Amino acid sequence: MTKKLHHLSALELNRAFIEGQIRAVDIAAYFLDRIQIHNPKLGAFLSILAERALIQAEAIDLKRSQNKPLGRLAGVPIAIKDNMHILNEITTCGSKFLKNYRAPFDATAVHLMEQEDALILGKTNLDEFAMGSSNENSAFFPAHNPWNVKCVPGGSSGGSAAAIGARLSLLATGSDTGGSIRQPAGLCGVVGFKPTYGRVSRFGLVAFGSSLDQIGPITTTVADAALAMEVIGRHCPQDSTSLTLPPESYLDTLNNTNLSEITFGVPWHFLENLAPESRTNFSNSLDVLKGLGAKIIDIDLDICKYAIAIYYILATAEASTNLARFDGIRYGERSSQAKILDDVYELSREEGFGAEVKKRVMLGTYVLSSGYQDAYYKKAQKVRTLVIRSFERAYDRCDAVLLPVSPSTAFPLHSIHDPIQMYMQDIFTIPANLAGLPAISVPSGFDNNGLPFGLQFIGPQMHDVPVMQYAHAYEMATLYTRKIAPAFEGT
Amino acid sequence: MSNFDEHTLANLEKLCRIRCTPEEKKELLLSMGKILDYMHQLNEIDTSNVSACNYVLQEMAGTELREDEIGDVLSREQFLANAPDQIGGMIRVPPVIKIP
Repeated sequence: MTKKLHHLSALELNRAFIEGQIRAVDIAAYFLDRIQIHNPKLGAFLSILAERALIQAEAIDLKRSQNKPLGRLAGVPIAIKDNMHILNEITTCGSKFLKNYRAPFDATAVHLMEQEDALILGKTNLDEFAMGSSNENSAFFPAHNPWNVKCVPGGSSGGSAAAIGARLSLLATGSDTGGSIRQPAGLCGVVGFKPTYGRVSRFGLVAFGSSLDQIGPITTTVADAALAMEVIGRHCPQDSTSLTLPPESYLDTLNNTNLSEITFGVPWHFLENLAPESRTNFSNSLDVLKGLGAKIIDIDLDICKYAIAIYYILATAEASTNLARFDGIRYGERSSQAKILDDVYELSREEGFGAEVKKRVMLGTYVLSSGYQDAYYKKAQKVRTLVIRSFERAYDRCDAVLLPVSPSTAFPLHSIHDPIQMYMQDIFTIPANLAGLPAISVPSGFDNNGLPFGLQFIGPQMHDVPVMQYAHAYEMATLYTRKIAPAFEGT
Repeated sequence: MSNFDEHTLANLEKLCRIRCTPEEKKELLLSMGKILDYMHQLNEIDTSNVSACNYVLQEMAGTELREDEIGDVLSREQFLANAPDQIGGMIRVPPVIKIP
């Protein structure tokens, strides 16, 4: 191998392994070494599954030596967000409540990737129960941004995005309820894809906002995201919201688009308060797409200015019911101070949940409580309908919507204290969750401090494949995905 | 303006079965009203002829739940492996009734 392994894409490494250029045990050892060296300053991984990865690698090497068929992800190092189950491994969800919880089954997405001979390296850091936009809400330690370790990597899949940004793994899973795949991917200069709602099974993903949650890949290239989707984008009978569609071909069709036949919609009025540097970056991206022949039109998505308000009603309402199961009775931590049954609930939840989780459970309970349900929850459900309709109208005129991923590049740790200001970090990502749309975040350049910007392509429901094609065309024209954070480029 | 006061917070703690530390209470009293006020902006929108979104995808609107079937379930041992306390193959909890 002439190139360093972490300079390869997952597809390239898979090819090198299949061609016999490298053994799976060497791949596993290489990336485990990188994790040992770099994780202390990045906090990207909560647990490192070295033994498991090496055993898996030996099994794959044996398969290859016996000329047995190899999986699509053979030899590809993978990191799993720690809110997805891996059989017999700890799933903490970034919470003290589950610090010792050992998963009794595999999440479907994990199972599908292991079936394809992926090498699972470990589990990545996240905001507790995926509630946050900075990874500062992890109960254990915050993750850091590879481009500047004094900055946040975004959240909630901050550990996964930091791990890919620093090339400690070449593929990671994330879950996206309001932008938790795309926003950290954007802030860490990597690719993050949120599929159409229902495209990837949620079985084995610890639920946050069930009508919004979706699993997807975080990768170094769009093609790697396409590869991951071919593996995990399958119907699953164990998730009642899983789409009953045949698996799609993402990889072979990546180049099948001619942007001169494509119209992108930009909701300029919704973007009127975008900060100057972000606006310039976004405009530059539009110029790139125009240069490729695409048509850009102005569309009306003004309703999206209400996205945060809708989201923090619906997501917290759903979270308050989903998190009711953490009662200290059947699993998770139980307070040692509990003397009677009521204490078990109240003290276990007091000790087990962090401040942001408590706040969201309380908000959700408030908006669902008698006397307030119509004013908050039902109202938000109606406005959500209007968001969906607005996108439908937009897609009558354009093939995909373009938005920045975030209002700004990565911000310093502990610099945002106001909850609304923190929630606003997701203003451009939440609309896709509210409408169940496929959306991808691709690196789109850097600010004056060398921190990455991201561009977002949002397609109509079920248009996951075209969304990836547009992003791939943009990626090939800009090659920002080839840039690695300087501190992690070498050993 | 939302009237989110100590009484509302105490009631929510009860409903949520969560107790908060004094510092958390202080922060919640500051932020909850602010967040609820922010949510009030939805009242600017006329939704009188709009139906609530019950399904994100229209495809799911007609989906009927499948019949219940007995599938692979956890064994008693697997289930109890994560239980905080157990006795004789069952989960042990503190007394439900307080004896005066």
